[in-house]
Amino acid sequence: MSKPQEIERSLNSDPNHCAELLRELLEMLRLDGWGKDDMFAIRMAMEEAIMNGIKHGNEEDHEKKVCVSIRLAKDRFYAKITDQGLGFCPDDVPDPTAEQNLDKTSGRGVMLIKAFVDECNYNKCGNSVELIKYRS
Amino acid sequence: MSENLECLELGQVDEVAVVKFRDKKVMDPSRIEQMGKELLELIADDENERLLINFDNVSFFSSAAINKLIVLEKQIRAKGGKLRLCNLRPEVRDLFSYTSLDQMFEIDQEQVESIQALSQ
Repeated sequence: MSKPQEIERSLNSDPNHCAELLRELLEMLRLDGWGKDDMFAIRMAMEEAIMNGIKHGNEEDHEKKVCVSIRLAKDRFYAKITDQGLGFCPDDVPDPTAEQNLDKTSGRGVMLIKAFVDECNYNKCGNSVELIKYRS
Repeated sequence: MSENLECLELGQVDEVAVVKFRDKKVMDPSRIEQMGKELLELIADDENERLLINFDNVSFFSSAAINKLIVLEKQIRAKGGKLRLCNLRPEVRDLFSYTSLDQMFEIDQEQVESIQALSQ
């Protein structure tokens, strides 16, 4: 029987649950023959997106969940990450690469997500993001 | 000192304190907190005001971990010390260039270059 190409999880707002899911995802990518660079990029984007949901979206409120849907197709990786927070406007996040913001410790996660996937789309409310990475 | 560190290994080359991460993947939130704490404790000691972080063996580094380095860099700079990074794998180096942090941190290919620069 072939390995499942989908993962659906409702995670507690606990960073350790993010690590468990990422381990499962990486194993799925490895078995599906994804390259090392693609795996690094997906892992980076997913970790940042899920941790943003846990920390900034749900503010680590253990009553709130982060829902993660992952689908692997032959040529692409797709994920949707949704938290139960109030959302945010990605355009309002200060540019971490601006000289005056370089030494600030915020805004870098969103930038890294965008840098490592091919498509990154937030919903209107800003509490859900869809990521697509094409296989190299 | 190094045996008391959970997340870091501390060595000495000439006058430079050389730090390596014990974890290959620096991503676990509690380990990152501990790593940040240990880095700040290290630079509280004036003997470590010339600090090199050698990324040998590090294959993953999250933005939360990068944030700890930003705090460290600011504190070292405030004390008049010097910090350099070396031995970053290309994909880890990309994290710094994508976020323009390669403008903030002095990054070398090899440890020997960093030691030379920090010894001046």
